[in-house]
This record gives sequence, C-alpha cells and structure tokens, in this order.
Amino acid sequence: MSEHVVLFAGPMGSGKTTAIRSLSEIAVVSTEATNTDRETADKETTTVALDYGEITIDDVTKVRLYGVPGQKRFDFMWSILAGRARGLLLLINNDAPDSVALLLEYLNDFRELHARGAVVIGVTKSDVSETPSVADYSAALTAASPDQLIPVFTVDPRNAEEMRTLLLTLVASVEMRELLAPAPTPISENI
Amino acid sequence: MNLTPAPVAAIASHLNPVHIEAGNRTLAEMQDLASSLTFASLLTDDGFEIVHLNGTHADGGRFASMSSSVQALSDAVAHELKIGTNEYVIIASELGHVIQLRVQGHPIVLAALFDTHETLGKGLSIARIAARRMAELIA
Repeated sequence: MSEHVVLFAGPMGSGKTTAIRSLSEIAVVSTEATNTDRETADKETTTVALDYGEITIDDVTKVRLYGVPGQKRFDFMWSILAGRARGLLLLINNDAPDSVALLLEYLNDFRELHARGAVVIGVTKSDVSETPSVADYSAALTAASPDQLIPVFTVDPRNAEEMRTLLLTLVASVEMRELLAPAPTPISENI
Repeated sequence: MNLTPAPVAAIASHLNPVHIEAGNRTLAEMQDLASSLTFASLLTDDGFEIVHLNGTHADGGRFASMSSSVQALSDAVAHELKIGTNEYVIIASELGHVIQLRVQGHPIVLAALFDTHETLGKGLSIARIAARRMAELIA
C-alpha cells in the first residue's frame, strides 16, 4: 500500500478541521482550545496544534491528513508538519477581507512545500460571499506563479464528496510530480 | 476527539484587567517560592499570553503559543490512550525543566521554566500551588 501525507492549511475559520472530519475514516485527533479571538473568527473553538485523520483511496493508497492551526502565531507547527508532507490543500474562506491577497500570503508561507510538492486550492464559504470568483483566484495565482497551474475549486468542507474530489486531485498531482521527478542517479555512475 | 470547550469569560483573559492583575500577583508569589524560576507565563488555552515573569529569557508570545500546542497535544494523547485527564506536562532538559498545568476551572495554562537547581518534584509542587492561587484570585 502506498502512502501520502497531505497538509490542510489556510486562515482561521476556513474549514480545515471540518474538512478533515468529513474525509477521515478514523476518529480524528483534534487539539482544539476555547477560542478567545472572536474578532478573527466567530467560533467556539480553534485548533492550536494539529488535526489528524486518515483515508484510504482506491484500496491501495492511504492518505494521512494533517491540519495545521490557521493563526500565524502557531507557525512553528506549520514548519514541523510541512516537512513531512508532499501535498498542500489550501483552504481560503471567501468572506475573509481581501481573500485573494490572503491566499497568496498563505501560499508564500508554504512556498517550500509548494516548490517540492503539489497544491490544490479550495475556496470555502462562497455561499456567504459570492466574490471573488474562482477566476479571480486563478488569475492572481497565474500572475504570481506563471509557470505553474494550481487547481482552484469552490468547496463545502462539510461535504465529503466535494472534499474527496479535491483530495483526489491533490493526490493525482503529487503522484504526477513524483513520476516526473528526475530518477536518482545510480550509485555506479557516481563512482 | 471532541473536547468540550471551557466556558468563555465575558472578557478574554489576556484582555481582562482582573485576570492580568491576578496573574502578576500569582507569578510574583511563585518567584518568592523558587529562585530557580527563570521564566513563567500564564496563557489562554488558545495561546494568548496573559502575563509573564522574567521576560528577558524568552519571547513570551511565542512561548505561549508553543505551550498551548504542547498542552493540547498532551491532552489529546491522554484522551487517545484513555488514561484520564492530563494533569501536567513536564519537559526535562539538560539546562532546565518546563512544567505546565491548567488553572482548574478556567481556560488558562500556567507554564514555568526552572533551572536545574530545582528538583522536578519541588518545581511541580510550586507550580501546583501557583495554579491553585490563580484559580482562587479569579474565582
């Protein structure tokens, strides 16, 4: 059985914990604390270390799902968990102020993972705020990274099927990158 | 795992003057009990620093965030292993010990760094006294 490790990142309130709960086949390990920062996100709890879940796809591939805290003051957890991941599922809530710039900011924060792995964007809460559109995000991503095609979807983190589509796209991208990566030079050629 | 969130105070602890005053008093009394206390912080469960002592030793904001993560991960391990409620966390290192525990009944964590002149047992005892004191002052 092959394994992949993917990271769920994005601002506080973008739906990372909910997305992992929608996808996971095991009881999700969560580290939630009472949220005292109601101005940033009006919700009862917030993730302060990680979320962890697992899902098996096509019977032969296990995907380990790690969610990171959304707030930047927990960025030490981003570094710890990004190091073991090969794919990034970046969720961005469409009702956030200047959400396009926020997306680019988070993508830059995970640029090392972006450079060596695959990225898929999920735009959440598009029912709360209809704009920006997927096209707006895609245009900004193309302007920021003209050489890379990053898929953008609207998604409801509560909807397992929608989340599964995003995850399968990400896993396919990770596997494609691994296939296209230059093969390691045989030891005999280095002697 | 779904932890039941602790009740939210009307004013978040890190913005609440009563909690800040009580925190300063608690940490000052803690310092009186242990000269080996090199840094201490009271923080909210979600990682906001309420007060700290001996701030030159560490970045208080970052220490609070990390202590919050460590506390939550420890709680998750205790829950996963079904060994009851996590009472305290100890990080024992060559040059010091970090001891952290919750202030009972409040979404507040006390985290303290002692140098190695203190035994773990005494450090834990002092930390427990301080956590109880903080709970009394904000009851």
